[in-house]
Amino acid sequence: MERSEEKRYAIEICDLVKFYGKKAGADGISLRVEEGDIFGFLGPNGAGKSTAIRCMLGILRSYEGEIRILSMDGRRQRREILSQVGYMPSEAMFYPSMKVKDVIRLAADARGRECEKEAEKICAQLEVNTEKRIRELSLGNRKKVSIVCAMQHKPRLLVLDEPTSGLDPLMQEVFFELICEYNRQGTTCFLSSHVLPEVKKYCRNAAFIRDGKIIRTDSVENLSRSGLRRIRLWKQGREQRFDYTGETNGLLHKLAQMKPEDVLIEEPSLDELFLHYYEEEKGGKA
Amino acid sequence: MILLKHELRSNFRSLLIWAGCVGFGCLGCLLLFEGIKDSIEPMAELYGKMGAFSVALGMDKLNVASMEGYFATEIALIFAVGGAMFAAMTGAVMLSKEEEGHTAEFLYTLPFDRVSVVFWKYGAMALLILLFQLICIVAIALGLAGAGESLDGKTLALYYGSQLLMQLEVGSVCFLLSALCRKKQIGAALGFSVFLYMADVMCRIVPDLEILKYATPFYFSNAADIFVNKAVESAPALIGLGVLLASPVLSAAIYQKRDISA
Repeated sequence: MERSEEKRYAIEICDLVKFYGKKAGADGISLRVEEGDIFGFLGPNGAGKSTAIRCMLGILRSYEGEIRILSMDGRRQRREILSQVGYMPSEAMFYPSMKVKDVIRLAADARGRECEKEAEKICAQLEVNTEKRIRELSLGNRKKVSIVCAMQHKPRLLVLDEPTSGLDPLMQEVFFELICEYNRQGTTCFLSSHVLPEVKKYCRNAAFIRDGKIIRTDSVENLSRSGLRRIRLWKQGREQRFDYTGETNGLLHKLAQMKPEDVLIEEPSLDELFLHYYEEEKGGKA
Repeated sequence: MILLKHELRSNFRSLLIWAGCVGFGCLGCLLLFEGIKDSIEPMAELYGKMGAFSVALGMDKLNVASMEGYFATEIALIFAVGGAMFAAMTGAVMLSKEEEGHTAEFLYTLPFDRVSVVFWKYGAMALLILLFQLICIVAIALGLAGAGESLDGKTLALYYGSQLLMQLEVGSVCFLLSALCRKKQIGAALGFSVFLYMADVMCRIVPDLEILKYATPFYFSNAADIFVNKAVESAPALIGLGVLLASPVLSAAIYQKRDISA
């Protein structure tokens, strides 16, 4: 794997291939996430986001390719990696008969760290009742417990798989405040999501994934400024709509030729961008 | 050690229920002995001459009207079958419960390597079986004291030792099964333990099936044989020990490479 001297990467994935029978969960994923970044991993359900994450964390073992997490080998240094990683799965499941405080303690003890103060702080922020049993909790409250377990040991890397599903909007705000706070302290955040606005709002860089393949990786700013424009123009009382990709001069020239009475040029939403990149990828392959 | 404590805590209720049922069953039957002794006595000779039935239950070797015979044929049956079922069930859920309960993603993203997970979970299973034994031994001791009877301590120790080996062997095989499966195979495990008991009965009755004595741990841990011979047959017991040692190694080897379903 090619290594850069200047940049330190929290995640380096090279040609990750993972098959479930004949179906590819990951089909040649290559990805780099710089240390200190908040990185969005975007894709629809079944795109391969969770597969890539499970390979990164060693839950899935039979894959091809190379994974390095925090400059450590994903296959051989799994234990060291996991001691410095906080993971929040998409479906937060714990032992039903255990109390919340015991689950949090178990996660802390497993890392051999005293995290009581940090856990208390996060529990207070997220309004977690630690005396309840897991079986009494809703999905949203289980998610909160999962956040505490992932963050209490102040990990160097946070891997969050669809973290906001099940959380109410108020808690989503608190959650992202926590993410930003940890990030300011140096934690790299890898945020897998299909909710595009949250990625646009909080992430600096992002990758689009579909059918186990990375379609595009760039800064969220550049991804948003793809050159794609939504054009609405009015001529002789009739509205026309079209998409334009390319130089602004070319667009102005085209508009001048069309001689509209009024024109509206819009930036596409990330949803539209996602579809745009996907169509572009398909067009390129065809 | 964290995982060992966690497993002991999670399985504590199950341990109490099983050990309570089996121990209380043994205790109750021992306390009944004084009352039914006189009624068994006239039939004891008949029990010993019922051919295959007597052979299967060991009543051809011991007098059921004596405490030794009553213990080896009645109490030991409850203890052995109950213990084997508990061991089978405990072993069969140890690893597979994480995938079935969707807790694998939590457990396997904690900094434990898989070999240590297998090691501590196997240790927890062995300790639970040992605790089960201890609770039942206490119940049996109380029963014997309550009935005003006693048994030869050395033979009893030999019998308990063979029972522990038998239960650990059954638990180990089921532990291996749990390393292979993504769902808890409780039914299969309980069926397996009953099958092993039946295999012991069959190999005693049908001479052509004698080879089964090397496959079933109920053979070397048979109470009637131990109380008569004052010894445990070594070859089947050594095979049992081999299975007991090989099973966690194989489980770890399988589990080390396997994809865990979340």
